[in-house]
Amino acid sequence: MNNAQHINTATLIDYLRRELGPERDAIVLAHLEACDGCRSEYEAEASLGEMLKAAAAREELEFPSMIAARVWETIRNEKPSPFAWVATLFRPAIAVPAGLAAALALFFVSPLSHPADGPKIGAVYYLEEHAAQQAQNPLMERGPSASTFLETASADSGVPTELADDTSLGIASSGVLNAVR
Amino acid sequence: MGAETPSASSPAEQAAFLEAAMQQYGKATYNFAFRLTGNEADARDLTQDAFVRVFKAWRSFQPGTSFLSWIYRILTNLYRDELRRRKGRFQEEIPEDNAPQEFAGQRPLAVTPIEDYVESQLSEPLSKALAQLSNEQRQVVVLADIEEYSYQEIAEIMGCSIGTVRSRLHRARALLRRLVERAQRPTS
Repeated sequence: MNNAQHINTATLIDYLRRELGPERDAIVLAHLEACDGCRSEYEAEASLGEMLKAAAAREELEFPSMIAARVWETIRNEKPSPFAWVATLFRPAIAVPAGLAAALALFFVSPLSHPADGPKIGAVYYLEEHAAQQAQNPLMERGPSASTFLETASADSGVPTELADDTSLGIASSGVLNAVR
Repeated sequence: MGAETPSASSPAEQAAFLEAAMQQYGKATYNFAFRLTGNEADARDLTQDAFVRVFKAWRSFQPGTSFLSWIYRILTNLYRDELRRRKGRFQEEIPEDNAPQEFAGQRPLAVTPIEDYVESQLSEPLSKALAQLSNEQRQVVVLADIEEYSYQEIAEIMGCSIGTVRSRLHRARALLRRLVERAQRPTS
């Protein structure tokens, strides 16, 4: 940077506030020593800063004691939020032990903690139950067809097959039930 | 409570924390609020709200950091919220019932009335010029030139980038110089 290249005001403000890096700071310093125009501009900026500080010092106010009183009054009069207690539940000092206790309680109450105490149902029982259900419900997907049951029923009760074919599902079902009995 | 950082180690110290904060930093906070708002009534309200916030959020203060920067950030946020609520402007100071304002024991008494008059004549153009800046420009000038914070600190207090701080300060200073020069120019 030579004297022909003047420093802009923004850079002078940054220099004044020590906000430039060491390299740029040194360049500006060297330029200001050689350039009257930039030095004059720099001094105007520095003077503005001094005026602001001086004006602020002159206008400085004491802290009114009424503010402290009003602060305490506001704090005393403020009602706690109705949901404030919910927030306290999430404090680690409360939430961690409470969560641990709840987890332990769930574990001891659940069947996982005492599997040997429960009633046992054997596989044979399930097979017998399944077979009985299939026999009783002719409309089940894999059970005997309805016509098979109707034929059996008509043969046993003496009702002709033609009548059995014309009967409603309700009559046929009663026949099926009789046949099973 | 230390010189710069009040300690906050247990909940039982909450009230003591606030009391010490008001004693040590009440004056600086109130003056900062006054420079932002331009009048004592709003400065009192703003300072009061800031210390109530300090009391509520005392646990979020980081020991070892600057308490003033923390409360200035709180105050700046409150000021911004209030400006939004009032749509941009704080009221001018109007004495109620023409009653004398609360200056008793608050103004420095070191200057004589004549010196006071001369100084007020000198600083008046500057005060008027400051009042003509935008709220953001005034904040940045107060923090940079009066409170002497760095760009980084101002950015943290105001919640904006360093580039924004820099450009606001440059524009504000350019405007201030023009306004002060115009005000000091003798009228023909």
